[in-house]
Order: sequence, then C-alpha cells, then structure tokens
Amino acid sequence: MISMSLIGVVGLLVLFALLALRFPVALSMIFVGTVGTIAATANRFLGLGMSPEQAWERGWKTAMSNLSGEAFEAASNFNLLVIPMFILMGNLAGASGMSRDLFTAAYRWIGHYKGGLASATITACAGFAALSGSSLASAVTMGRVALPEMKRFKYAPELSTGSVAAGGTLGFLIPPSGGMIIYAVLTDQSIGRLFMAGVIPGIILTLLFVGTIWLLVRMKPERGPAGERASAPARRESLISAVPIVLVVGITIGGMYTGFFTPVEASAVGAFLTFVVGAARRSLKWSMTHEIILQTMKATATVFLIIIGAFIFIPFMSLTGLAADMVTFLTSLPIGEVGILIVVILIYMFLGTFLESIAMLVLTIPVVVALATQLGWDLIWFGIIVVIVLEMGMISPPVGINVFVVKSIAPEVPMRTIFKGIWPFWFAMALMIALLVAFPPIAMYLPETMLGQ
Amino acid sequence: MIDRQKPLPWLDALDAIIVRFTVIAGGLGLVFMVLLTFVNVIIMRKMLNNPITGAEDLLILNLVLIVAIAIPFGGRVGAHIEIEIFESRMSPGFARWSLFILKIVGIVLVALLSWRLFEAGVSASKFGEATQQLLISYEPYYYVMSILVGFYGLILVTDAVQLVVRGAIREIGGIQDE
Repeated sequence: MISMSLIGVVGLLVLFALLALRFPVALSMIFVGTVGTIAATANRFLGLGMSPEQAWERGWKTAMSNLSGEAFEAASNFNLLVIPMFILMGNLAGASGMSRDLFTAAYRWIGHYKGGLASATITACAGFAALSGSSLASAVTMGRVALPEMKRFKYAPELSTGSVAAGGTLGFLIPPSGGMIIYAVLTDQSIGRLFMAGVIPGIILTLLFVGTIWLLVRMKPERGPAGERASAPARRESLISAVPIVLVVGITIGGMYTGFFTPVEASAVGAFLTFVVGAARRSLKWSMTHEIILQTMKATATVFLIIIGAFIFIPFMSLTGLAADMVTFLTSLPIGEVGILIVVILIYMFLGTFLESIAMLVLTIPVVVALATQLGWDLIWFGIIVVIVLEMGMISPPVGINVFVVKSIAPEVPMRTIFKGIWPFWFAMALMIALLVAFPPIAMYLPETMLGQ
Repeated sequence: MIDRQKPLPWLDALDAIIVRFTVIAGGLGLVFMVLLTFVNVIIMRKMLNNPITGAEDLLILNLVLIVAIAIPFGGRVGAHIEIEIFESRMSPGFARWSLFILKIVGIVLVALLSWRLFEAGVSASKFGEATQQLLISYEPYYYVMSILVGFYGLILVTDAVQLVVRGAIREIGGIQDE
C-alpha cells in the first residue's frame, strides 16, 4: 500500500499537467477525480488486506457510482437554479441597454469633475454588477459604452482601460455574484447570507476605486480631464431613465435581504422584471432573444460543467486526505492565524496570475475550506476575502481575463499600458482585503443583523 | 499542406442544428423556469397564499434539462474553460497533436460519463430515485442527460477531426462573450 497523500499529490500533478496542455478545467477535474478515486479506493482496500482484484473492483465501482451520481447531483441542485436565472437577468439587462443608461446617469452627474468619467464608469459598473453577477459582462458592456467617451475627452489610456477592467471585477463581488454562488454551494453556506456579506465590501471597494481615480488625477490632472457639464434637465432625464433599473435591483436584491424572497425566487423575479422593463422601454427587440438565450446557455455550460468537475474532484481529494495534510502543515507554521491567512492570500494572488478565477475557486476549495474550518474562521467572511482575491486575479498579468476583454474593445491600447493602469486598482483591492481582515464586521454586519448569527 | 480555411459543410450543418436546438429547447426551458418561479412566488404564494404543489420538483427537472442542453452547446462555443497560458510556448506541431490526444482522452471520458448516466437511469426506478413532492422518476432525466453528454462527446470527435483535417478548431461564430 502506498501513502494516500502520495496519490493525492500525483493526482494534483496530473491535474496541473492536463491544465497546462489546455484540457478543459472541468474535464481535467472529472478525469483526475475518477481515476484518482479508483486508485485511492483500491489502495485503501489493499491496505485492509483485500485481494488486488477485489480491491480494484471496489475502486472502479466507487468511482463509477461517483461519476454519475455527482454529475446528476450537480445538475439537479435546487440552489443552483439561481445561476441560469441571474445570468439571464444580466444578459437581458445588457442587451436592453440598461448599462448605457446607468453610465449616462453617472456621467451626467459626475462626468464634469476631473476624472469624473472614470469614476462614472466605476459607479455604473457597480450598478450593473447588481444586475449581472458577472465580471466579464460588466467589463464588456461598460467598456463599449465608456471607453469611447473617455477617449473623446482625451483620458490617459491607462486610466480609462484600468478603470473599466477594475470596475468590471465588481461583478464578482457585488451580489448577485456567480463566484459567490459557486463558493456557497461547494462549502455548504447560505447563498443569501453570502450575498448580504458582499454588499458593504462591494460599496467600500467601489468607493476605494473612485478614491484611487481621484488620487491619480490629483497627482497628474491631465490623466482625466473634466467632461462636459450636463444641463439640469439632462441630469433629471438620465436619473429618470435609471429609476426602473434601480427598482429592479431594489426589488430583487432588497427582497432577498429582507427575507421576502429566497435567492432562487429573487433570481426569477429579477429576470422577469428586467424583461418587463426592457420590453416597456422598447429597448428589448425580438431579434435579440436568439443571442440572449445563446449567451445564457453558454455561461450556464461554463459554470455547470465546472461544478460537475468539482463535485467529482473534491471527494477524491477528501479520500486521499491531502487537504487535511496541507492544513496540518499550514497550521504548524509558527506564523499565527493572520500569518496563515496572509500565506493563503499570497498563494491565491500567485495562482491568479495564471488560473481563471472560477477554476481557481473550485480547485482550491478542498484545502482552504478545511483550513478555515480548522482555524475557526467564519466561512462567510472568508468567502468574501476569497472572492476579492479572485477579483485581483482577473486583472493580474499575464492572464487577467478582464484585461483581455478591455484589450478587445480598445485594440489600439498596448497590453503594457492596460496592465500599468490596473495596478492602482489592484492595490485598492489589497487595501480592501486588509480592511476585511482588520474589521470582519464589514462583511458580517449585514448577514448577522438581518439573519442572526 | 494544411488548409485552416478548408470548408467543412457537415460541420456547418451540425452547428446549425446545435444552435437551433439550443435556442428552442434552451429558450423554452429558461422561460418555463422564470415564469413558473415568478407565478408560484408572486401570484400563488404571496398573493393567493396557495403555492403550486410540486413547483420545486418541476424546476429541478427543468434545470437538469437546461444543463444537459447547455453542455454540448458549450463545447462548440468554447465555453468550457481552458488554461491557454502555455500555448504560445508550444511548437505548432506539439500544440496540435497534444490537443488531438487530449480530445481523444476527452471523448473516452465523456463517453464513460454518458454510459454511467444511462446505467444510473436504468437503476433509478429500481432504487426509487424520484422528486420529493410529485414523485416523478428521475429515470428519463438521467437518459436525457446521458444522451446530451454523449452528444458533447460527439462534438469532441468533431474537434479531433478538425485538428486532423485543417490543423485547428473553428468554434461556432457569432457568440461573443457579453
């Protein structure tokens, strides 16, 4: 019998090799989870003195049972109903031009200040994040609207592209967030509680981004010249256009916070109301339905296959005990709890430089959650920290996905310039994490006040 | 000499079928999901205090169908996340043939999953696997998932064929990340 931890290590190495060779993340996890379960189960029974034939047969049976059982379990998980419905809501909002209205409102109210257009972009991103739940969707839709405007007013390219890339990441933190839903399902936490915990950090991070822009423009005013001052009627008009959007967000998210809706109900009500608002404004055309459905199905495919992979991979990791070994190792380090948390955050930051956020989340969950549980950390609070670190990965070189999105919208801006532009926002996120570590109530106040301990 | 632009009419036909199927079946599933939840929550429960019996069961079964429909479509539009950071450091030949081998591994893996889902469907009724309220058997849903996961395997086959025939995989156009 060989060590179970060794099987776990070999499994991880095979997983990373497959990922490096461009095997889809989900299939890599299914492969390693299945083959690994066969090996680990057989190894365990061999250790108990069973004959090799019987032990391997047990391994095969266990793995095959997991394969179908976990795949169907993921596809029939009631809590995961929120995913297609929130994605649909975001796609409806994007297609019906709500992102443009949000930007216009923010632009007309603060665009005439120095750096105001970039701040308006961040504000509109935060608003759109409450509709879409996707960082990519926020970056794309807002980038298309905001980048041409900032170019027109001769904003420094690093500020304009950096603000769109960073603003887009708010979609991952501000509820409804796809990342939070996956974290909640994989760690058995309440989606509603996690959503609530993300609100105040989301607002603070938005303000930190705006503060970063203010600081950058104060240091070098030519980075963000003032835009045109909108007339009072134009401002009022933009505010009126944004009211239905605010209402949709208020009813959906507010309904969830007050306990009037469960997250699943809120996602359906949100998608329905977004459709009604889009149809009433006549901005939602029949011809758009094709694209909206396909985009929704595409994003649903991404998330669910990954979750299926995680459902098959995580039991294998538990079986090998590797996660527990890593936890034992980390907790034995003489660096204290905060030191361990910093190590975890640094590892996430490193992984974020080459792993996609959702992939990173599902791959690390077995270890980090075991660690958090062992150290008595609140998994909701820890989840918010994890989500923010994952956001940092979205703008970290060399594979920050939001940076590529911005590059596709502004092909004339060199990658180097975009990455230069994201660093101030990256540090703002690091500051946000420091605040959360120092003052956990920033995340825990809302869920504890509204739902109890 | 590899022609990356080589037309593959059979692939165009397959893409057209996948897109049409996804739009119709997926669209109906999404509409059903949103409307049923909305009507059940707002009208039946909050207004009439009379929730629809078994609504949750229907939603769960509908989710299974949506996921099953989405997976093969996702395979044709590049929805399944890959880490491409090392691709630029690979020689074109290595990149092509390593990907080909991985496609074969993927085909075997997905075929295995499809087969196991089918087997689970066969035993679902025997073990009483059904929804909680309406007691609808999961059996047909296992079969649907098995078939559509198998269809994803077929898409991986088309990827492998494309790698051999024209050295690159062309995904369905027109679906950009939004």
